[in-house]
Formats: sequence, C-alpha cells, structure tokens
Amino acid sequence: MKLLSNKTLMILLVLISGYGYIAGCTHKGDLLLPVPTSTGIIITRGVNFHLPGNMTAGDSSQWKLDKAHSSVLWSTNYVGAAGLLTGRFNQFGIHEVISAKMIYYAATGQALKDTSWAFYENDPSKSYLNGYVQINTSNTGEPGRDTGCNIGTLGTIKVIPGTQNLSDSNLAKIKSTKIEFDPLSNDYFVTFNLTWKGKLTAPLTKSIVGRLKYIPKAYVSNYAVFGLQLKFQLNCRDFGIASTSVSDKIDIECNMNFNNK
Amino acid sequence: MDSSFFAYLQQLELMAFFSGYPLVYALTVFFAGNQKVKNNFKKRIVSLLPFGYALVGTLYAGLQLKKLYPDYSFENIKLSTQHPWLIFWALLSILFWIPALAKQKVFSLIHSLVFFLFLVRDLFLQLSISNMNESIVKNDMNVYTNSLLLNFGAFTILVLLSFLFTLYKKV
Repeated sequence: MKLLSNKTLMILLVLISGYGYIAGCTHKGDLLLPVPTSTGIIITRGVNFHLPGNMTAGDSSQWKLDKAHSSVLWSTNYVGAAGLLTGRFNQFGIHEVISAKMIYYAATGQALKDTSWAFYENDPSKSYLNGYVQINTSNTGEPGRDTGCNIGTLGTIKVIPGTQNLSDSNLAKIKSTKIEFDPLSNDYFVTFNLTWKGKLTAPLTKSIVGRLKYIPKAYVSNYAVFGLQLKFQLNCRDFGIASTSVSDKIDIECNMNFNNK
Repeated sequence: MDSSFFAYLQQLELMAFFSGYPLVYALTVFFAGNQKVKNNFKKRIVSLLPFGYALVGTLYAGLQLKKLYPDYSFENIKLSTQHPWLIFWALLSILFWIPALAKQKVFSLIHSLVFFLFLVRDLFLQLSISNMNESIVKNDMNVYTNSLLLNFGAFTILVLLSFLFTLYKKV
C-alpha cells in the first residue's frame, strides 16, 4: 500500500466514519410526539335526576318520552356470516307491562304511559328502567320481509290495524334489576331481565347486562331535553329462533329522547 | 412497493457485511505497524485480516443460501437478486480463504472499498443535496456500525483460534 500510506488511510476512514456518525445522529427527522393531555380517565357525573311523574303536559319537572325522536334498533349478521341486517321497531314504550296488561288495545298510538323509569345521574341505585317492544312492528324497510318471513320466524302475527298487540307472543320486555356506574367511563351498566316468548311455548326470562349512556340535560329554547342510550346483545336461539338467515347474536340499541314540555 | 425498495435492502445487506472492513483493516495495520508495539505476533495478526474478511464473506454466502432455501433454481435466484454483479463481487471474498490470495492482503481492502463507497456516496449526496432524506444516512450509519462489529468480531475469532492453534501445536 505505497500509494496510500496506512496512516493516511486510517485518518481518511476515521474522518469519513466520524462525519457519518455526526450527520446520522441529528434528530431533525425525528417525530415530536405531542404531550398527552391526560394520563387517566376523567369521569364527571353531574347531579341531574329525571322522573316521568304523570307526564303532565306543561309541567317542566315531569319528563316525557319523545317517541317521535326515539328508536329501538336491531342488527345482526345476515346468515351469521355476511353484512348486517338491520331494522327498527315501530312500536315501543317505557312501561312495565305486567301480565294483566298483556292484552290487545284498540288504539293507533301507545296504549300505555311511558312512566316506568327513573334516572339519577349520581345515584344509579335509585334509577330503574322498564320497557317493551311490539315484535310484529319490526321495520326493515322491506314490507315483504316485515309482513312475511319475519312474522313466522319470530313467532307472532301480523299487525292488526287500529290495534296495539301487547299479548305475550308479540311482546319483548325488559325490567332492570340493577344499575351501577361503569368505573372506566361515564356510562352505566344495567342488569335487566329480558322476557320474550319467541318461538317457545311460554315466555322465557333471561338476565342480560347492557351499557347505558346518559346524554345530559340541555336547554332548547323554552324546554329541556336529555337522552338515554341502552345497548345490549341477546342470543335469539335462547328464544327458539331457528332462522338460518340471522346470526344467533342480535344487537339492540335503544335511543330514548326525553323532553319536559 | 417496487423492486427499488428490495434493491435498497440488498444494498444495505451488502454494506452490513463488508463496509466495516476497511476501517478494521486500517486500524489493525496501523497499530500493528507501530514501532512501539512491534513483536512476534504483529506479522501474524495482519496476515489474518484477509481470512477474517473471507469468514465474513462465507457468512454472507450462508445468509444468501438460507434466503433462497428451499428453491435453489436459477429462476428463483434470478428473481430474488437485485444486484447480481455486486453479489457476485461480494461472494468473491470467499476466495481469500486461499492462502496465495490472502498473502496479498491489500486486495481484500480494495475488494471491500467497493461497499464502503456506498456510504461515501450517501454522505456526499447529503452534503450536496439540501433536502435529501436524512434517514438514509442514519440507516447507513446503523448498518455501518453493525458491519464494524461483525468484521471486528470475525477477525477477533480468527486471531483467537490462531493463537489457540499455536498453543496446541506447542503442547
């Protein structure tokens, strides 16, 4: 190595390497991560409470279900494997339908008052919730299905115009047994009994846990509104539903809006 | 993702094996050539440099064989090779196991400088192009560091084995 002495070669290589390390060690290209805004879950619960009273119009202390702006939605995987099948129930309410009330009513609207509930934002032990849906009012937007296969599959009969069918074969109802705080969010866990006959010979009651979300009170011009959203899942096979078109798991979402008009 | 990405990866692979050798070579020759530390082992250590390089080349060949496993067909080799000439050049380093070639230790330096030049090229580009991606130099230096460690490690193993072999012969 006469052309380039060992010393020169070493100095050259060390210089090149040194420059490389200096150039490569700059942090210009590094991403600056934002400082986390919070290190924990912040749970805030107010002191609101809402009661239906007797639903007297004009009494702002009594909260009324705004059914026109509420919904009970269901969804399940088509044939248990494909995309979602969805629908809603046209007729539902928040009333504890005891056996004596499980009859046909000659009415076009709700036959029972939506008064079987109470909600205390900061004391769930005092809250409770009872509700129902009329199974044959399932509305998928496809009349052929709603008045056809759905009726037979769900073990009920078609809608009789001018009649509210709250008989046991057409009624699915819930009755809360415990409401408690979700320690990880502002939501609540609701344990309730779901009673539905489905295709069984007699109504079956199953205990289910759902998640309840409270959308706090807000004022709209001269009245106030609040919302409750209950989500849960049931296994329709428990109730004798053997259809291959629907998955065994049915997701239910109840969006209830209330006002104090 | 086109083949240029895989070509870049193969280039990094080559650099990881061979680019560190020139500095290991220069440092070894420099310190061994120092009058103050002259002793009987000096010549021997320096003579082991090309063998260390051949060991690195053998490891590289092993990696290529592992990557091709189990399909060693010509088609597969052709498909998975992005820099055929460079890889061929890299595999030539195995020839330094031949004592006659290893005697010309400067050949091993010239052989490895080809891969060191990739690093020099990227550093030069970073100097001359203002908006060049700095990650390239960062990558290069990470790979270069690994290459230094690999070449130094391979050389150290050979030196140790050589001394052990000498001791064994004496006993």
